Amino acid sequence: MPAQAYGKTITVTDTLNRKIELPAKPERILLGFYFEDFYAIGGANAFDKVVAISKSTWHDWRLSQWNTYIKVNPEIAKLVDVGEVDSGTFSIEKAIASKPDVAILAAWQYNALGDVVTKLEAAGIPVVVADYNAQTVEKHVISTLMIGKILGTEQRAKKLADEYAAAVEDVMHRVMHLGGDKPRVYVELGNKGADEYGNSYREGMWGGVIGLAGGNNIAIGQAGQWSPLNPEYVLTSDPEVIFIAGSYWESRDKAVLMGFGVEPETTQSRLSTFLGRPGWSNLSAVKSQQVHALYHGGARTLYDYAFLQYIGKALYPEAFADIDPEETHRRFYETYLPVSAEGVFMTRLKSSP
Amino acid sequence: MTSIAYRKMARHRLGWLITGVTLLLLSILIDLSTGPALLNIYDVFSTFFSPEKMSDPMVYVIVHNIRLPMTMMAIVVGASLGAAGALMQTILGNPLASPYTLGFSAAAGFGAAVTILFGLELPYFPELSVPFFAFIAASTACALVYGVAQLKGVTAEVMVLSGIATLFLFQSLQSLAQYMASPEVLQEIVFWLFGSMLKANWFSVSVGSSIFLFSVLVLTKDCWKLTALRLGDDRALSLGVNVQRLRLKVFAVVSLLTAGAVAFVGTIGFIGLVAPHIARMLVGEDHRLLLPFSSITGAVLMVAASIISKVISPGSIVPIGIVTAVVGVPFLFGLILTNKRGS
Repeated sequence: MPAQAYGKTITVTDTLNRKIELPAKPERILLGFYFEDFYAIGGANAFDKVVAISKSTWHDWRLSQWNTYIKVNPEIAKLVDVGEVDSGTFSIEKAIASKPDVAILAAWQYNALGDVVTKLEAAGIPVVVADYNAQTVEKHVISTLMIGKILGTEQRAKKLADEYAAAVEDVMHRVMHLGGDKPRVYVELGNKGADEYGNSYREGMWGGVIGLAGGNNIAIGQAGQWSPLNPEYVLTSDPEVIFIAGSYWESRDKAVLMGFGVEPETTQSRLSTFLGRPGWSNLSAVKSQQVHALYHGGARTLYDYAFLQYIGKALYPEAFADIDPEETHRRFYETYLPVSAEGVFMTRLKSSP
Repeated sequence: MTSIAYRKMARHRLGWLITGVTLLLLSILIDLSTGPALLNIYDVFSTFFSPEKMSDPMVYVIVHNIRLPMTMMAIVVGASLGAAGALMQTILGNPLASPYTLGFSAAAGFGAAVTILFGLELPYFPELSVPFFAFIAASTACALVYGVAQLKGVTAEVMVLSGIATLFLFQSLQSLAQYMASPEVLQEIVFWLFGSMLKANWFSVSVGSSIFLFSVLVLTKDCWKLTALRLGDDRALSLGVNVQRLRLKVFAVVSLLTAGAVAFVGTIGFIGLVAPHIARMLVGEDHRLLLPFSSITGAVLMVAASIISKVISPGSIVPIGIVTAVVGVPFLFGLILTNKRGS
């Protein structure tokens, strides 16, 4: 059944620059990803309109975050699970059977689904595409305004989008006029612990954020977008600032644990093992105590500018003297989300043992 | 064959052996001197002979803690896979056989994938979890083929057939594990399967080389029997070789060698297929020479692959499993085209 049959419709523009027509006040939404951003834009009752989600992208990928939200809204756990696109468990039947007025998908889901999208549309379900993964101000803004229009919370969306754009602009402005060489930065995903070098990022993910914050990412120009660097290369490059991305990885004794409900001491002790790597005691970053941990789930969100500020401040403390990134992060949760940010999301390794 | 001709042949073969060892030493030197730190050879040597004079402690760390374990592991893995491949081709009488034919490495890959997928960790030694379960899975695959062979007779045909079935079984299970994984975990699994020297450390080097030396000791007495086996089961039997027993014994050694090589650094293909062929073309069928030469060839190919993986992109190490075929294939083609003995 085409959307127009419901009578009143609205038209939104999505991140693929497609104009999509959908019911003016959709009451049944299929949400593929970006659950926190959706919450932030729609407010405390945003999930009342959600009928189906791709559960594993939340439950499996961000377990501690999922647990935190389930506590304030247990209904989320009862939503229809349409499966996950990447692993091929996405069920078009479940998606259609949940009778959504609109499906909001992430760009990577839309691309992976390919032809299946046409089938959803043929079944009368308009599909719109949000994209925070792109990590650009433009797509963050388009995604936010689009979701705001769908949820009828345009003003809140506009405020979020403006704040986001202004915060990123501010960071870029602060680092733009700084003279001198950019500090050398090394970033690594801390899921394997100190024994084995984890992935580093070139232009994508944290690599992009480091570039924006005025850092000289030593991984740029090396083969592979997401792959480990040669340990020897890290030593020779002598990074001045090191970021290890942590997350909540269950049953991993060595990974850098971060996120909701994690004790600061846990993150600190896991992070400190990295200093024991061969040769690391001679690195500039270690000597000047510039080893930091960042919450991996923090990138690609509406509040990722808090991490941008944190990286900027680590690189240029004076230029960011008046900025408190942790406070930015905490306040975002307080203002826009139904849960509070309790746990470790960004931290610096305290003096070496 | 006259004794003069025999002596000439022996000298010819010895010549190749010396060439092989020289090549290996040379490639080790190049490998140790290659890396993004661009150390000069003099500095690299100083860390071995006069470490107390080193002004920069970083040079010592780079050579001894980062480069040396990787080079040593390349030698151990290359030598193990080279020998394992030669043994496999002999006991199965099949030139296409390699340590991978019977599914050992697929099983090892499955063990690793499951460990990474479910985050399994050994108590006390979490860093050994992946190698441990990879080894267990490879041994299970070995036991499976071994069991079938025991029941249905230890012929090359039965072993190849049950081995290939095992291979498919574990490949499917491996795919299943990948299918169930989230993208981050999937990437980790795929990376393991690529095979990478980044995982080398002194522990893996010592385990790998112990397995290799143990295998050498176990098989030293059997060299002539293996040579006889190349003439066919019947002839070997008539020469007094217990063919069944020999096959099972060698089979067990091959699984040990393969599991030891791939458990730590991931599935590294091709060396086990190519190294024995190169060795056979150069030194012939006499296993007293063929086995050591297969090992040397395997080691040279691995170290060469290690050098190339560092040269392609100095800052990141291109997984060596990807590079091995790129190094080995042109070498093999060259030999096929120039081999005078080729029929």
